[in-house]
Amino acid sequence: MEPIEIGIVDTRNLLKLLLEEFQYDFNDYSLISLKRRFENSIQLHNMKFADILATRLKEDKSFFDLFLHEISVESTEMFRDPSLWRLLRDEFFPAQIIPGRPFHIWIPSCVSGDELFTLGIVLHECGLADQVSITAGYLSDASLAYIQSGALKLNKMEISTENYKRYQGKHVFADYFQGQGANQTRRMDLLKNLKYLKHNLSLEEVPKGVDLVIFRNRMIYYNQNFSDKISAIIWETLNPAGHLIVGIKELVLPSNVAKTFRLVNENESIYQKK
Amino acid sequence: MKMKVFIRKNDCMYRAVMIGGSAGSFQVVIKILSSLPRNYPLPVFLSMHRLKHVRSGFVEALSIKSAIPVSEPFDKEQIKPGKAYLAPANYHMYIDLGNRFSLSTEPPVNHSRPSIDLSFSTAAMAYRSKLVGVILSGANKDGALGLKKVKEQGGLCIVQDPKVCDVSTMTEAALQATQVDHVFNVDQIVNFLIKLS
Repeated sequence: MEPIEIGIVDTRNLLKLLLEEFQYDFNDYSLISLKRRFENSIQLHNMKFADILATRLKEDKSFFDLFLHEISVESTEMFRDPSLWRLLRDEFFPAQIIPGRPFHIWIPSCVSGDELFTLGIVLHECGLADQVSITAGYLSDASLAYIQSGALKLNKMEISTENYKRYQGKHVFADYFQGQGANQTRRMDLLKNLKYLKHNLSLEEVPKGVDLVIFRNRMIYYNQNFSDKISAIIWETLNPAGHLIVGIKELVLPSNVAKTFRLVNENESIYQKK
Repeated sequence: MKMKVFIRKNDCMYRAVMIGGSAGSFQVVIKILSSLPRNYPLPVFLSMHRLKHVRSGFVEALSIKSAIPVSEPFDKEQIKPGKAYLAPANYHMYIDLGNRFSLSTEPPVNHSRPSIDLSFSTAAMAYRSKLVGVILSGANKDGALGLKKVKEQGGLCIVQDPKVCDVSTMTEAALQATQVDHVFNVDQIVNFLIKLS
């Protein structure tokens, strides 16, 4: 069976509907990915056509939240880019987290919780979890429920386990999970001082006094103007000399002279507030 | 000199070359990149299956032999002629409108990220009839659907002759999916791409 494909006109009509009915403006999102995400939702519900999706959105308002979750792109696995997490555990956190001073990490836009739980393990393994508070942002209640369930898709388990070895984990990866096989879940109690924060597309709700923002492979779904706008918002939430980590193949361009970052680690895409 | 480049650009029927294959077609890609002239007028995209966790090494190995610069593009990077671009590990590489790359971490397609199908079909949308698509040796059917999209948009489709492939699954699937323009051995592919310059 060939995958479902919708046209550019269908995609634009859905964008218009989301703006008019729900005041969610996706016009600054990459059209190619968005089109694929809409197709994903259509396929998941056996709807076949964009029109059926549009009708469902209009007539069943409770569907919208689930739809937001389905069109959001999950992180691919746990410990993606193992060398980054090793650097955080062995060098970055021990240097940045000063005894007696709280340290605040913000992960905007969690969808599947892979980066969040990876961070929990890293903090646990460097013995600094008690000193750190985490704010995890989410777009839809369905995403929050998924993250809180502690589920990790079976198809991500193999690569995550391999990554954990490359990160040179201090324990056995399976020990961070409870239950067996398909019922295996993350030990979410590992995440100390965690707050969830619901936000909209423009990140209007932000935490205050942040020392580190982990925002990897999210701005690849934005156009350049919107990326610039969001990085300015992140800049404002950061404490002086705070850090921002983006994806390996993302660049934070110096578009706003007053709110710029400097690249402090090129291999792992770590930026620092200027 | 500038004038000459300008005329060449206009003379060429095509605006980009997209090549797909698995890691096993590495030697063929080396042969192609080392044979192209230094002032090659088109961008060459390489969507190759590769290990998800190995970030470095691949582009460096290609660069040693290539006559044109090879890099793994950043998201939103502008596409330039005369350069080869390798899809980065664990990302899908899309050709976006506005002559730019767009990277994605969406789920694998045909167990692959980068997915050859996605690179080819987005390039087909961006370049339409001005694209040359080449499918090389590979171990799964990824690329077949993408090459079909290239054909549907009026682009030119080349498949490496399955008889000379190390693994012929990918090329045979591509030949089944669409009526291709040429079935070539490696030297024929190289010569054809050189003639575009």
